[in-house]
Amino acid sequence: MSYERDIAERMAKGEIMEDRLEISLLKYLWDSSPLSFKKNDGYHEFFKQITVLNSFSDNEVRIFTKFLHRREFQSNEVIFKEGDSGYGFYFIFKGAVDLYINRSSENDLGEFILKLEKQQYFGEMGLLEEFNRRTATAIAAENTVLLGIFKPDLEMMLEQYPVMGAKFLRETALIMANRMGQLTKEIIVLRKKIIELEKKL
Amino acid sequence: MNRNQRIKLYLFLSILIISTLFLVLFPRLTLPLGFAYIIYLMSKPMTIRLTTGSKKQRMSYFFIILIGTFFIFFPIIVTVYNIDTNFESFISDLNRTQLIIHDKVMSLQTKIFRKYGFQLNIDPVRIIMSKIEAHGLSLIDQFPNYLSLLFEWMLLVPVFLYFFFMESPKLSRKFLETIPNSIFEKSYVLFSQFNTKFGEYIIAKFIEATLLGAIVTIGLLIIGFPYPFILGFVAGVTNILPYVGPIIGLIPGLFIALLSKDPNASFIGILIVFTIANLVDMILVFPLLVSKIVNLHPLLVIVSVIIASQLSGIIGMIVIIPFIAFFKLLFKEIYKDLSVNL
Repeated sequence: MSYERDIAERMAKGEIMEDRLEISLLKYLWDSSPLSFKKNDGYHEFFKQITVLNSFSDNEVRIFTKFLHRREFQSNEVIFKEGDSGYGFYFIFKGAVDLYINRSSENDLGEFILKLEKQQYFGEMGLLEEFNRRTATAIAAENTVLLGIFKPDLEMMLEQYPVMGAKFLRETALIMANRMGQLTKEIIVLRKKIIELEKKL
Repeated sequence: MNRNQRIKLYLFLSILIISTLFLVLFPRLTLPLGFAYIIYLMSKPMTIRLTTGSKKQRMSYFFIILIGTFFIFFPIIVTVYNIDTNFESFISDLNRTQLIIHDKVMSLQTKIFRKYGFQLNIDPVRIIMSKIEAHGLSLIDQFPNYLSLLFEWMLLVPVFLYFFFMESPKLSRKFLETIPNSIFEKSYVLFSQFNTKFGEYIIAKFIEATLLGAIVTIGLLIIGFPYPFILGFVAGVTNILPYVGPIIGLIPGLFIALLSKDPNASFIGILIVFTIANLVDMILVFPLLVSKIVNLHPLLVIVSVIIASQLSGIIGMIVIIPFIAFFKLLFKEIYKDLSVNL
């Protein structure tokens, strides 16, 4: 049943109607709808597929995308270098990113350690730490589009949408906790290997 | 850096230079724009709380601007409307002051003649009055211009303010998109920090000025000094200028104490009131409110204020402090980066 027909039937029954139509509410609901074609940049569908943000409602994802910065990088363009001050957290919207460590000089990239693909993310420490230094060099492996969120955006989000800001912080903390867990496992394995090697020697 | 990145960097630098030139070359537009921006930064924390989640954001901004405009321009309009009465009272006060100063100078000259036996042939009253007359005449000549400027500001400031509230997030995004990738993170964070510091500084100075003005007014009311509200207002406004402000604010009160025949207009009384007010400001208000925002060395502040006053007058004196705080932040960041990369 359409909205108009519903109104017509209610009027025919002699029901008392509300004074006016809440256009602003309808507009709000329309904008909140993931099916809305208004400014369909694909961000909504993208973030719904990212596991980190799966506790976000449709409307929260819509608001979250307003705080993001779209940055386009050409193939081999430096995103940031090891040792640079870090302020932001990036999601790979299109393309891929290579990570390098142990850079010895300004022009040296260092050793390749990891390739990050679409829907993966990096740089979360930059968002949380007060004085962050990038621990790796990030280079666009191909023409890449990143969606970045930076410290001022997080502060603004916490001020304007505290519940959503807290949710996002919790998710970021979870990412870091997972990475810490992985690191701890790796350290345990490495320690075992060192002990075995020491025994052999 | 490849060719495309270089082009992006040059384009961004050109936008910056053109915008700066535009602002410098058209002060008639820059000043109301700057004034609207200051009000925008001051009211931003409050408006965010009032309008976040509101379905009628446009309407909320409109009412905030309407109320703000009323409170800023209403006292000015009342003053302008009563300008003839004010001018008449100013002229009569001027004549009376002229006579009082003349009497004081004459009695001083007689005293010097009696004590040391020589006649002073200076006439400070005539020199001062001729200067006041010249300034007064130029003020009257310029009055229509000032009036048209006032109406221009009354129209432009609310429009700019509405524009800042409604469009600045979108426009700042567009501007940020032009920043080359290599300097984006740092520029964005510094730009945001400057905005936050500038806004916080203006709010802190506004609260400080209001508190100081209130203390002076209450103090003068207690001792029964004439014109307590006007002198309190002047003390508050001049206090915005760091270090030199309190001294400038005291001058009108001292003049009244010297020239007025009112027995309550005590020289010592006003000195005590201003000393107490400034002590409260220095010991309590400034450390709690302002110094946390701009942690600068006093000598640097004094030198910057003097240079800014020479370059761009009172406005320069007010805005120079957050700018210096920003440059300190910028140099710190550059130094940090250099020390890591070396």
